[in-house]
Amino acid sequence: MSANTPQSSGAMSPAQAEASSSTPTDRLVLEYLRSRGHANAVKALSDVLGTDPSTSAKSSETTVSSEELLKGIAVYAQKASRPGENSLKDSSNAAQELNSLSPSNIQNLLASLGSIGAEEILSTDPTDKQEGFRELESWVEGSLDMYRPEFRPILFPIFCHFYLELVQRGFKDAALKFFSSFSNTLAPAHNAVLHHLSTLLLPAHVQNDELAQRFRNEKYVIKMSRSGFGLLVGWLTEGVGGEAVGSGEGFSGETGKRGRSAVMRVVNNHLRFDVTAASTTTLSSSEWEESTGLLSSLIPGSSLSSSSIPRPQTFNSSKGELKLGPAPISEELRAETDRVLREHAMLDRDPGAQYDTYSRLTAPQGLVSPAVADLPPLPPSFKTVDVQREVERVRDHRKRIRLEPSSLNSVDLNSAAGTAARARGLPSICAYTLHDVGEGSPCSTFSPDISLMAAGFAESHIRLWSLKGEKLKALKNDLSPNSIRDSTSLSKLQEKDGTTSRKLIGHSGPVYSVAFDPLSGSAAPPKYLLSASADATVRLWSLNTYTNVVAYRGHQNPVWDAQWSPMGVYFATGSRDRTARLWSTDRVSCLRIYAGHLSDVDCVRFHPNSLYLATGSSDWTARLWDVQRGTCIRVFIGHQGTLSSLAMSPDGKYLASAGEDLAINLWDLGSGRRIKKMTGHTASIYSLAFSAESSLLVSGGADWTVRCWDVKSSGGQNKAKENGSSEVSPFRGEENENFETTDLVATFPTKRTPILNVHFTPRNLCLAAGVYLGSDPK
Amino acid sequence: MSKAKGKSVGGAAGVYRPEAVQDVAESVGISSLSDSVASALASDVEYRIQQVIEEAARFMRHARRTTLTTADMDNALRTLNIEPLYGFGGATVPPPFRRAAPFPHMQGQGHGPIYFIEDDEVDFDRVLREEKITVPRGVSWAAHWLAVEGVQPLIPENPPAVPRDSDQPPQQDGAANTAALAAQKKPQQQQQQQQQLVKQVLSRELQLYYARLTASLLPPTDNAKRTAALASLRSDAGLQALLPYLVKWIGEGVVNVLREGSGSESDGRTLEVLLDAVSAILENNTLFVEPYLHQILPPLLSTLLHTSLPPTHASHLRATASSTLARVLTTHSTTYPSLTPRITKTLLLALLGTSTNFSNGHQGASFGTRIGAIRGLGAIGKEAVRKGLVEGGGARVLGKELENRMDDGDENTDGTKDALVDVVMNAFRMLHAPSDMPEAMDPSSPEAARLMETVGEFFAQRLVGDCAWAMGILGETPSS
Repeated sequence: MSANTPQSSGAMSPAQAEASSSTPTDRLVLEYLRSRGHANAVKALSDVLGTDPSTSAKSSETTVSSEELLKGIAVYAQKASRPGENSLKDSSNAAQELNSLSPSNIQNLLASLGSIGAEEILSTDPTDKQEGFRELESWVEGSLDMYRPEFRPILFPIFCHFYLELVQRGFKDAALKFFSSFSNTLAPAHNAVLHHLSTLLLPAHVQNDELAQRFRNEKYVIKMSRSGFGLLVGWLTEGVGGEAVGSGEGFSGETGKRGRSAVMRVVNNHLRFDVTAASTTTLSSSEWEESTGLLSSLIPGSSLSSSSIPRPQTFNSSKGELKLGPAPISEELRAETDRVLREHAMLDRDPGAQYDTYSRLTAPQGLVSPAVADLPPLPPSFKTVDVQREVERVRDHRKRIRLEPSSLNSVDLNSAAGTAARARGLPSICAYTLHDVGEGSPCSTFSPDISLMAAGFAESHIRLWSLKGEKLKALKNDLSPNSIRDSTSLSKLQEKDGTTSRKLIGHSGPVYSVAFDPLSGSAAPPKYLLSASADATVRLWSLNTYTNVVAYRGHQNPVWDAQWSPMGVYFATGSRDRTARLWSTDRVSCLRIYAGHLSDVDCVRFHPNSLYLATGSSDWTARLWDVQRGTCIRVFIGHQGTLSSLAMSPDGKYLASAGEDLAINLWDLGSGRRIKKMTGHTASIYSLAFSAESSLLVSGGADWTVRCWDVKSSGGQNKAKENGSSEVSPFRGEENENFETTDLVATFPTKRTPILNVHFTPRNLCLAAGVYLGSDPK
Repeated sequence: MSKAKGKSVGGAAGVYRPEAVQDVAESVGISSLSDSVASALASDVEYRIQQVIEEAARFMRHARRTTLTTADMDNALRTLNIEPLYGFGGATVPPPFRRAAPFPHMQGQGHGPIYFIEDDEVDFDRVLREEKITVPRGVSWAAHWLAVEGVQPLIPENPPAVPRDSDQPPQQDGAANTAALAAQKKPQQQQQQQQQLVKQVLSRELQLYYARLTASLLPPTDNAKRTAALASLRSDAGLQALLPYLVKWIGEGVVNVLREGSGSESDGRTLEVLLDAVSAILENNTLFVEPYLHQILPPLLSTLLHTSLPPTHASHLRATASSTLARVLTTHSTTYPSLTPRITKTLLLALLGTSTNFSNGHQGASFGTRIGAIRGLGAIGKEAVRKGLVEGGGARVLGKELENRMDDGDENTDGTKDALVDVVMNAFRMLHAPSDMPEAMDPSSPEAARLMETVGEFFAQRLVGDCAWAMGILGETPSS
């Protein structure tokens, strides 16, 4: 306990040197405590020392300099001369008495003494916390401008711990008072957690609540610069440091001191400082987001007691390189595809088609492609549909509308050149609006060849529409496989009449996700549809017979998302039971379980080469899993809310994630670092899609808009208004413009239609689906 | 959810109070529940409720909604292995909670307001008798372009574009701050914008043409020029780009003249020219007028129905307007099926609506409107006239009014009265041709009584002389 603060920062701060010298003091303290009869304190301290055997082993060898010894003894001698005072006072006074010691010694000593003493005090007097937090808050707010953003994050964990302790000890009224007087300043940034805490009112709740237990058992990591940390330690020990001289009145009094020691107890027991050598000004706000919080349980492999600071970057780099290149394609399939392409070129007399060869699909530079052996096992031989798909891929590549949103950056969009740039940079979006939807439609999707649209409904059914206006004819029920010889005999077996819409009934709960199988690509209509529902099943539907083929059971709770692997055969699901699972269509039990998220797995997406699976969760993180090994290989921390949607870029380099904090984060898969944060949406974001060249990201959400983001631009806050220069985007709504980042290149509002799904075709036409809400029900 | 957050963060006292626990305890027969137990129970109940709500919020998020519904609560309860609350589901619209009237004996005990769902009393007899159960259509989809190459097309499916602040020129003079001045400035700015648009979109030749055309049409020009201009409008190709501006110009011209309402000669002539221009535009085969019909119709109808047209031109103007209207309807009612009913409705309103001017002494004024309305109905067709005059009782109302005014003998209105009578009689002639050899109706016959009832005494007297005609108007074949 006592050693944590300086040791944790040991890697890069001078505290490292001091840490080794701290142990003799510990020994002194132990002796002292034993002589004074503080049995509890002795036990606690020795426990702490015991957990760190390496240090204690070292400590036995280090000699104590005479000067230090003298200083140490002086304190105790001074104390011993006042035997009349009770032990509680002693420990709280220790802060002042120990000022003469070197800082690191003070810290350790003080912590060990303070924690025990303060605990007892607080069991009798809950007002300490109130006082202590008030002091801390005024100190933080009174600090220099350059330090304030650095100190602010410390308020939140201390607030939470104070509140939880008050509740734990049964001071319900005091807890409520504490909450009501201090939560307002923290509310904007931490609304969800604060609200959750405010519902905990009895000790039993704290014992049983997961978040409360995480707060109590894990260390809350705070990033701080070295100088800022020094000031904080100074304030905790002396009541000065920083600029809060004005609040000195409280410190001279007894309550102030006790309040401060309460703060210190939390700092020592529950906080861990990630001290950086960087100066405060160079750290952006996004870095605070990434490195603050209860990180240790979010990052796999970092146990609660380990002394190293849990950093997502450390974890991500420890997992090695990823093979992010496109999946290999068998030689036979490649040769066959090229042959078919050549044939087509001869027949079509299309001048552009003669250049169609498979080699035109070049892999992005700098990415390692996986070998065939790395891929999940797939059928060894290829079928006609595979050739058709690959042929169509090559053609799509040639016929694609090239989107270069970067061309929008330099031109004035109101001029004639701007119109041309807009046409080059922005897609055409076709919106499919659902009308007369009863209780709502949680999901919608387009087939890869955009011949079909499917939507799942809250009333447990799924509806299919033909977007081409063709009749959806099922095969007859009584067909015998022997009678099928060729495609004409098969078409005879189809029902005579059909409708352009089909209803699939089978689930017994709201359908949260639907997905068409990608096997036939953009060449032919898909053969299967997957659906996930609140009834904890995933169902596979045949689009030949329009019936349910398999129900996959395994999840214990509602399944939030189901996605096909890019090669078909496999699919992944994410569920409320905190796991993501991998399935293959021919087995009813799952193949892999990806466990590690601390809350629901809300969305899953495969990497384009199907080696990796990305999951987004309600624990505010996204993770990348090795599909075959089932291990977590990247963790993406930075969202300040539940994740609602994910998208992988087709070039395999990036992951985009959207969260309930209304931000879209763009992550580099290779390094696991956040590239940028894009803000501008005013309500939940439901869907994300990359354009075929990965240059443009489109998002749709509950604010009835479709927005286009420039993936390649650097982003950042929009300063155009302040500079007085012209606006970047012409589509400005009435919403607050300050939080729109500059990479938001276009916003297209709809009429009261939340966008459920955005989809890019391989030729870069953008499709959007949404449910028209009608008039306001209120 | 977010709303609830804000509330509890602010209040933090808990929404479920110990008194409520005690009330529940009493209702199940526990009378002596100590305060501390009640308080602890209230806290616990609140915690459990919040747990359920947090769970339900997840279901709401995944259902892509922003309103928490009873179905979400049911799903949450099921997931938490609690039996769901039956009886609240099934409604897309959140149930209408009503605030109960406060109980007098509970005042001052810290009770918050009580909400409940009001159940309608259903009369089974009525429900069974009416049998108005319609099957909903089912979900359907519609596609439209949200953006075409990065530009949002201005179609009805897309919301109207948000005007940009930066477009408006900054106001330079400080005096413009007052509201009155700002209001004055607005039309000016609009005009400026309009002109800017003209300059940007139209070629210089077209702009020149537009200026010449509008100048030569308006009164202070000679007849030859005007005729030439109208002929050009009637036959020239390539005016499509000017069409919106011409239509706007006509509309504004008509509004300006009618608003001033001076009733002078020159105004009448202006209106005449404008109407001629409208009919010229309609006659031009090269123009695609349909998108602008909604802008062309208001000036036509205003002229037709205006109360006080310049007396010298009134009848001519109304005749022109009605014939132009007839032309619009015959050409475009096939593509706009709703056009005819809408105009009929407007005209019927003008004909039958209570005359607003009746009380202020301008008795003659409302006659103008009615003349116009009858002429307009005539332009639409026989059926419309029958509907207005006979079935709707227009003739009866008019007859009564005419009788009333005959008595006061005001010189000025005599002309309009005669005109009105003429118009009505013409309309009757249109319904059914009067017989060459009129045969008087037996005044005591039931047909005569019906005639009296339908068209009123005033017109019945004029019709009673010709039995076949009267019966034709009534829509019956003569009995003998």
